[in-house]
Order: sequence, then structure tokens, then C-alpha cells
Amino acid sequence: MNTRLLMMMHVKVGTLLSIGGVPHGVRRTALLGGGAFEGPRLRGTIIPGCSTDWQLLRSDGVLEMDLRVTLRTDDGALISMRSFGLRHGPPEVIAAIGRGETVDPSSYYFRTMPRFETAHLQYSFLNRLIAVAAGDRRPEGPIYTIHEVL
Amino acid sequence: MSLAINARPLMELRLETAATLDVGSTPDRTLTIFPVVGGSFEGERLRGKVLAGGGDWVSVRGDGTFTLDLRVTLETDDGGLIHMTFTGVRDDAHHYFRTAPRFETAAPKYAFLNRLLAVGIGEIRSEGPVHIIEEIL
Repeated sequence: MNTRLLMMMHVKVGTLLSIGGVPHGVRRTALLGGGAFEGPRLRGTIIPGCSTDWQLLRSDGVLEMDLRVTLRTDDGALISMRSFGLRHGPPEVIAAIGRGETVDPSSYYFRTMPRFETAHLQYSFLNRLIAVAAGDRRPEGPIYTIHEVL
Repeated sequence: MSLAINARPLMELRLETAATLDVGSTPDRTLTIFPVVGGSFEGERLRGKVLAGGGDWVSVRGDGTFTLDLRVTLETDDGGLIHMTFTGVRDDAHHYFRTAPRFETAAPKYAFLNRLLAVGIGEIRSEGPVHIIEEIL
């Protein structure tokens, strides 16, 4: 499998809504406070207010993430991004993240598969690709290295 | 700082499909269903057969590309059942056919599948579709 860098995305966490125990696990909804992305072919910001990560902590300890964000490029295009992701690791590492500590991103699994939709011609290549991201959960919010699958 | 994206082989999935069901143009899209009637999968950590009863719901989009939405059941050679789904993109103009498979199983031996993300590289061969699936490390 070959990939190439699509963008780096820095997400700022906002309000966390803890829904609690549901039939499938423990659900919480993380409203994003904004953020920015930059890559060789596009750059811009994450629009807060319509960008949220819908999370489910499963009974096997895996956190499922369903991120839906709206991006605005520096030249005004809107891009809808969705990504499904998984995060899990040794209990002590996950606990450290929970306490707001910075941990080595190689010490746990945090991967997502972003998909994009846009009507803007300059960015229509995004409609036709599959992407893979590696995440680094910093105290201020996750940083995603997003690669296009070639 | 950017992180490396690494992958390793998970399996090669070969699907046997029956005659397509052309649903046609619905309000959203043009939909064709490919019934999956069998097949096989093989990798270092698992192998077995694809059970009949699955399918791939393929949509033609406005830009001429296809989106895939597959669900099948895999049965390993030691009797484990694995629910597998993928969504994907097929863009013949750019020779691009990639999928994002997900797995769900209750078999303890294959529980690692519940915890990984994967990418598939698809090909249409004369005997049917083949997907080379790699685990994202």
C-alpha cells in the first residue's frame, strides 16, 4: 500500500457531552472548538459549531470515533469530512491521556479513515480518494497526520 | 510532527458474484446490487470461505465514479464467523479502486480484527473481484 501526505490537521477540543451508558457502550459527544489543516494541496480551518466527534467506548475497551467536521479552505471552499476511527492501548497510557497528559503517540493505536465531499472543482479530487490518518492525542486536542491512499 | 503510516498484509479476498440486480435510477443515485454467492480469503493469520448471502450495493455518482457498500459473512477454516463490511471508491478513469474494510467477530482467536482499521486494493479479474487487504498499523 502506498500513501502520501494529504494534510496535517490540528483539532481544538471544545465541550464534552457525556451521554453515559447506552446499549452498545459508553457514549460521549465531543464538540470541536475549531482547528486548522495544512497540506501540499489544501489548507484552511475547521468550522466550529458544525464539527463534532461522536464517540463510543466499547465493552472491549476500544474507543470508536465518528468524526464529522466542516472545513473551509483558505480560498473559500467548503469540504465536508467524515472519519471513522479506533483508539485503544495499554490501560495506563489511555488513563494518562484521560488525565490530560502528553503521551508518545506510538504507545497506543489511534487511526482513522477520513472521507471527503466537496462541490468545489479545485478540490474534487478529494471526492475520489480513500484516506488513512494516524492520530496523536495532545491535551489541547488531537493532531492527525492524514495520508491519501494511492 | 507528522506520523508514519504503516501497513501489513491481512488477507486476499476473492468474491464470487452472481448476475447483478440493476435497481436503476433512484432519487439519490443509480444503484446496482452485486450478490455475493461465495468466495475465499487467505492471509497469514486467517483463512476460510465467504458465505453466500452477502452483496455489494454499488452506486454511480454524478462524477462517474462508483461507491461501494459491501457486507458479507466470512467463515474461517476453524469455524469462526466474521461479519465484514466495507465502503469504497472505484474510479475507472483514474484506475483507482480502494476500500475501507471493517470486521466484527465474537471468536476470541480473531478478536484482533475488532480493533484494527484496514485498506483494500481492489481489482476486477476474469474470475471476479479480488481485494488485497492490509491492516493499518
